[in-house]
Amino acid sequence: MRSILKTETKTMMKRIATYPGLYPDYNLDISNARWIDDLAMAEVVEKKGKMWVTTGTIRNVNTYCSIEETVFLVEIGALHVLDRNGMYLSLKELYEKLSDGKSGCNWEVFEVYRNLKSLGYVVGRHGIPWSVKGQKIKSGTCSLESSQESNELLEMEQENKNSIIELFNNMRITEVTPAFHVYLPNSKFRKSSPGDPNFILCMSR
Amino acid sequence: MKPRWKGKGSEAKASSDPMSKIVSQLHSSLIQTETCGLLSSCSVLVEVDAELADLLNRACFGRPRITSEKDKQWFQLDMEETFYLCFSLKCLKVMGEDGSTKSNEELWEYFKSKKPVFPIHYKAYSHLRHKNWIVKLGLQYGVDFVAYRHHPALVHSEYAVLALPEGDNDLNGRLRVWSDVHCTVRLCGSVAKTLLIVIVNSNGLGANSPSCLEHYTVEERTITRWNPEQSREDQGGLQNQIKEGII
Repeated sequence: MRSILKTETKTMMKRIATYPGLYPDYNLDISNARWIDDLAMAEVVEKKGKMWVTTGTIRNVNTYCSIEETVFLVEIGALHVLDRNGMYLSLKELYEKLSDGKSGCNWEVFEVYRNLKSLGYVVGRHGIPWSVKGQKIKSGTCSLESSQESNELLEMEQENKNSIIELFNNMRITEVTPAFHVYLPNSKFRKSSPGDPNFILCMSR
Repeated sequence: MKPRWKGKGSEAKASSDPMSKIVSQLHSSLIQTETCGLLSSCSVLVEVDAELADLLNRACFGRPRITSEKDKQWFQLDMEETFYLCFSLKCLKVMGEDGSTKSNEELWEYFKSKKPVFPIHYKAYSHLRHKNWIVKLGLQYGVDFVAYRHHPALVHSEYAVLALPEGDNDLNGRLRVWSDVHCTVRLCGSVAKTLLIVIVNSNGLGANSPSCLEHYTVEERTITRWNPEQSREDQGGLQNQIKEGII
């Protein structure tokens, strides 16, 4: 009994370690990022902590955070975000950005993201590769809001998405859109070869 | 079903701290601080200080958000909670992300666009809240709301609430078939709640503006299962059941 508890505590402590700031005694390092309005994403300037293994997408040499990743990290105190004038963006301003509809996400979708991330899952937007070398980040990439009809997707993801939507259509479920790829907690997650997700999370209206 | 209080002293605590008083304190505090919420899809976010956070918690409005911010706390309110504070209690303002204040009419239209059945749900919600029941969304029990006699920390919810429009209006397609009645009653029984139907009659007024709500009428019915095998001996119990209009 004692040995089982010990292992569980170890796993729990490992998970806590990936989120500096949530448990302030554990790790005081705070990362920095710069918000880029055109992309509606944050470009990471300084990385601290192990959470970057499973958060943020890589384009060439830079790491970018979607609005949901940004708000999540700021909420737990692991990230500071500057606007283009070098001023810190408050949580309120970030919530406003989440609500303006330009960043392809809305409150309910963010809540889903936050819930799963807090539990340790690795969560990424459906249709967005974790890592692409030699390519600049595209603006206006895949929207998570179900009202958006046309999404920009890289070719390799297109087929995947269509087959899921097709399966749903065959069941006469037409108001469901894939939103996230979800992987089980994994400290050895590799963005360059993430493998197939354990779950594809879909939102329904 | 009698109220199930959680632990000793909960009932006494609830009696000495009536919900009406807590809500009244919340009302004053919100007006004094001129609190303004941010509208975000189907939720409203408010940033409050410690005193207001405590009142929101005790009056059971919204859910606190866990953030690393130290002096202020964020709460998120559902559509019904928001509209109750804005329209019924008139103590909260709501802004869009563009900074513009939303009028009650604008909020009404917006919430209706997110949830067409909002007028019916809202009438049921406000009807129960006015009577000092704590009302929370009942998604996890397959119903519209759950109603608590006092704070959920002190008592288990007694009623699982379905808000239904009067007549053949298909807005809310619940309890149209016997199997749904059977499933819902069964589920409620498993979670020790009584199924409460709140029938909202719009009296032909439609739902163009929140002022229509004033003239909606509400009727409450409970549905429980009558078990003939258990009712033979108990004459008193049978009398009570007949009064409550049980199927």
